[in-house]
Amino acid sequence: MRNRLKVLRAERDWTQAELADRLNVSRQTVNAIEKGKYDPSLSLAFKISRLFDMPIENLFIDEETTIPSSPT
Amino acid sequence: MLSSSFRYALELAGSGLAYSVVLVVSLTFLRENPDSPWRVPVTVAPVVPIVFIMLVMIRYIRRQDEMLRRIHLEAVIISFLATMMFCITYGFLENVGFPPFNTMFVGFGMVIFYAITLLLVQWKYR
Repeated sequence: MRNRLKVLRAERDWTQAELADRLNVSRQTVNAIEKGKYDPSLSLAFKISRLFDMPIENLFIDEETTIPSSPT
Repeated sequence: MLSSSFRYALELAGSGLAYSVVLVVSLTFLRENPDSPWRVPVTVAPVVPIVFIMLVMIRYIRRQDEMLRRIHLEAVIISFLATMMFCITYGFLENVGFPPFNTMFVGFGMVIFYAITLLLVQWKYR
Protein backbone atom coordinates (compact mmCIF):
# COMPACT_ATOMS: atom_id res chain seq x y z
CA MET A 1 0.00 0.00 0.00
CA ARG A 2 1.40 3.32 -1.01
CA ASN A 3 1.88 5.86 1.72
CA ARG A 4 3.36 9.25 2.53
CA LEU A 5 5.54 8.08 5.37
CA LYS A 6 8.83 8.87 3.70
CA VAL A 7 7.76 12.39 2.79
CA LEU A 8 6.41 13.12 6.25
CA ARG A 9 9.55 11.72 7.85
CA ALA A 10 11.73 13.85 5.61
CA GLU A 11 9.72 16.97 6.49
CA ARG A 12 10.64 16.42 10.11
CA ASP A 13 14.23 15.52 9.25
CA TRP A 14 13.98 12.16 10.98
CA THR A 15 16.00 9.14 10.01
CA GLN A 16 14.30 5.79 9.61
CA ALA A 17 15.89 4.72 12.88
CA GLU A 18 14.50 7.76 14.69
CA LEU A 19 11.03 7.14 13.33
CA ALA A 20 11.33 3.48 14.29
CA ASP A 21 12.23 4.47 17.85
CA ARG A 22 9.22 6.78 18.08
CA LEU A 23 6.94 4.01 16.83
CA ASN A 24 8.66 1.31 18.90
CA VAL A 25 9.29 -0.85 15.84
CA SER A 26 12.44 -1.88 14.00
CA ARG A 27 14.09 0.22 11.32
CA GLN A 28 13.45 -2.65 8.88
CA THR A 29 9.71 -2.28 9.50
CA VAL A 30 9.78 1.45 8.80
CA ASN A 31 11.76 0.80 5.61
CA ALA A 32 9.34 -1.91 4.47
CA ILE A 33 6.30 0.30 5.14
CA GLU A 34 7.82 3.23 3.25
CA LYS A 35 8.54 1.01 0.26
CA GLY A 36 5.05 -0.43 0.34
CA LYS A 37 6.35 -3.94 0.98
CA TYR A 38 4.57 -4.24 4.31
CA ASP A 39 1.17 -2.96 5.35
CA PRO A 40 1.08 -2.11 9.06
CA SER A 41 -1.54 -3.50 11.38
CA LEU A 42 -4.40 -1.28 12.46
CA SER A 43 -2.80 -0.53 15.80
CA LEU A 44 0.49 0.48 14.18
CA ALA A 45 -1.35 2.55 11.57
CA PHE A 46 -3.14 4.41 14.37
CA LYS A 47 0.17 4.91 16.14
CA ILE A 48 1.64 6.44 12.97
CA SER A 49 -1.46 8.57 12.59
CA ARG A 50 -1.12 9.91 16.14
CA LEU A 51 2.59 10.56 15.66
CA PHE A 52 2.07 12.64 12.53
CA ASP A 53 -1.22 14.07 13.82
CA MET A 54 -3.20 13.29 10.70
CA PRO A 55 -5.93 10.82 9.76
CA ILE A 56 -4.92 7.40 8.49
CA GLU A 57 -6.60 8.16 5.16
CA ASN A 58 -4.10 10.98 4.64
CA LEU A 59 -1.17 8.70 5.36
CA PHE A 60 -2.02 5.57 3.38
CA ILE A 61 -3.33 5.45 -0.16
CA ASP A 62 -5.78 2.65 -0.74
CA GLU A 63 -5.19 1.71 -4.35
CA GLU A 64 -8.44 -0.20 -4.57
CA THR A 65 -10.56 2.82 -3.72
CA THR A 66 -12.17 4.22 -6.83
CA ILE A 67 -12.63 7.92 -6.93
CA PRO A 68 -16.24 8.64 -7.84
CA SER A 69 -16.55 10.63 -11.03
CA SER A 70 -18.08 14.04 -10.69
CA PRO A 71 -21.58 14.40 -12.11
CA THR A 72 -21.75 16.23 -15.47
CA MET B 1 20.87 -0.49 28.83
CA LEU B 2 21.68 -3.33 26.45
CA SER B 3 20.01 -3.39 23.07
CA SER B 4 17.61 -6.28 22.60
CA SER B 5 19.78 -7.83 19.87
CA PHE B 6 22.89 -7.74 22.05
CA ARG B 7 21.00 -9.14 25.02
CA TYR B 8 19.62 -11.92 22.82
CA ALA B 9 23.09 -12.76 21.55
CA LEU B 10 24.42 -12.78 25.11
CA GLU B 11 21.64 -15.06 26.38
CA LEU B 12 22.04 -17.37 23.39
CA ALA B 13 25.81 -17.54 23.82
CA GLY B 14 25.45 -18.27 27.52
CA SER B 15 22.93 -21.04 26.88
CA GLY B 16 25.11 -22.44 24.10
CA LEU B 17 28.11 -22.45 26.39
CA ALA B 18 26.10 -24.22 29.09
CA TYR B 19 25.04 -26.81 26.51
CA SER B 20 28.64 -27.40 25.44
CA VAL B 21 29.83 -27.81 29.02
CA VAL B 22 27.02 -30.20 29.97
CA LEU B 23 27.55 -32.15 26.76
CA VAL B 24 31.26 -32.61 27.40
CA VAL B 25 30.65 -33.64 31.02
CA SER B 26 27.92 -36.03 29.93
CA LEU B 27 30.00 -37.70 27.23
CA THR B 28 33.01 -37.95 29.54
CA PHE B 29 30.94 -39.53 32.29
CA LEU B 30 29.37 -42.04 29.89
CA ARG B 31 32.73 -43.00 28.43
CA GLU B 32 34.21 -43.64 31.86
CA ASN B 33 31.09 -45.19 33.40
CA PRO B 34 29.36 -47.13 30.59
CA ASP B 35 27.38 -49.31 33.01
CA SER B 36 26.39 -46.61 35.47
CA PRO B 37 22.75 -46.65 36.65
CA TRP B 38 22.82 -42.87 35.96
CA ARG B 39 23.59 -43.29 32.27
CA VAL B 40 20.06 -42.45 31.09
CA PRO B 41 19.66 -39.13 32.99
CA VAL B 42 23.26 -38.22 32.23
CA THR B 43 22.90 -38.86 28.51
CA VAL B 44 19.82 -36.61 28.26
CA ALA B 45 21.28 -33.93 30.57
CA PRO B 46 22.35 -31.73 27.60
CA VAL B 47 18.66 -31.32 26.79
CA VAL B 48 18.27 -29.06 29.86
CA PRO B 49 20.37 -26.17 28.47
CA ILE B 50 18.62 -26.71 25.12
CA VAL B 51 15.38 -25.84 26.93
CA PHE B 52 17.02 -22.56 27.99
CA ILE B 53 18.05 -21.94 24.39
CA MET B 54 14.43 -22.46 23.37
CA LEU B 55 13.22 -20.02 26.05
CA VAL B 56 15.76 -17.42 24.88
CA MET B 57 14.53 -17.79 21.31
CA ILE B 58 10.87 -17.57 22.35
CA ARG B 59 11.56 -14.40 24.36
CA TYR B 60 13.45 -12.97 21.38
CA ILE B 61 10.54 -13.58 19.02
CA ARG B 62 8.09 -12.04 21.51
CA ARG B 63 10.24 -8.88 21.67
CA GLN B 64 10.10 -8.44 17.89
CA ASP B 65 7.68 -6.07 16.20
CA GLU B 66 4.80 -7.26 14.03
CA MET B 67 6.67 -7.36 10.74
CA LEU B 68 9.69 -9.21 12.13
CA ARG B 69 7.36 -11.75 13.77
CA ARG B 70 5.73 -12.32 10.39
CA ILE B 71 9.16 -12.84 8.82
CA HIS B 72 10.10 -15.40 11.47
CA LEU B 73 6.74 -17.13 11.06
CA GLU B 74 7.21 -17.49 7.32
CA ALA B 75 10.75 -18.76 7.82
CA VAL B 76 9.61 -21.31 10.42
CA ILE B 77 6.80 -22.59 8.22
CA ILE B 78 9.04 -22.96 5.18
CA SER B 79 11.83 -24.63 7.15
CA PHE B 80 9.33 -26.99 8.78
CA LEU B 81 7.95 -27.98 5.37
CA ALA B 82 11.44 -28.34 3.87
CA THR B 83 12.53 -30.55 6.77
CA MET B 84 9.40 -32.65 6.44
CA MET B 85 10.03 -33.06 2.69
CA PHE B 86 13.60 -34.11 3.36
CA CYS B 87 12.59 -36.66 6.00
CA ILE B 88 9.89 -38.18 3.78
CA THR B 89 12.25 -38.32 0.81
CA TYR B 90 15.02 -39.90 2.83
CA GLY B 91 12.54 -42.38 4.28
CA PHE B 92 11.85 -43.58 0.74
CA LEU B 93 15.57 -43.70 -0.01
CA GLU B 94 16.17 -45.90 3.03
CA ASN B 95 13.87 -48.47 1.34
CA VAL B 96 16.43 -48.79 -1.45
CA GLY B 97 19.47 -49.19 0.74
CA PHE B 98 20.40 -45.73 1.92
CA PRO B 99 21.96 -45.82 5.40
CA PRO B 100 19.73 -45.17 8.43
CA PHE B 101 19.37 -41.52 9.39
CA ASN B 102 20.13 -40.31 12.92
CA THR B 103 17.05 -38.38 14.03
CA MET B 104 19.24 -35.89 15.91
CA PHE B 105 20.16 -34.39 12.55
CA VAL B 106 16.51 -33.57 11.83
CA GLY B 107 16.67 -30.79 14.40
CA PHE B 108 19.96 -29.49 13.05
CA GLY B 109 18.61 -29.65 9.53
CA MET B 110 15.56 -27.62 10.50
CA VAL B 111 17.79 -24.95 12.08
CA ILE B 112 19.85 -24.74 8.88
CA PHE B 113 16.72 -24.50 6.73
CA TYR B 114 15.39 -21.82 9.10
CA ALA B 115 18.58 -19.76 8.84
CA ILE B 116 18.54 -19.92 5.04
CA THR B 117 14.84 -19.16 4.65
CA LEU B 118 15.06 -16.35 7.22
CA LEU B 119 17.59 -14.59 4.99
CA LEU B 120 15.42 -15.12 1.92
CA VAL B 121 12.23 -13.90 3.58
CA GLN B 122 14.00 -10.86 5.08
CA TRP B 123 15.28 -10.00 1.61
CA LYS B 124 11.70 -10.01 0.32
CA TYR B 125 10.85 -7.13 2.69
CA ARG B 126 13.89 -5.00 1.90
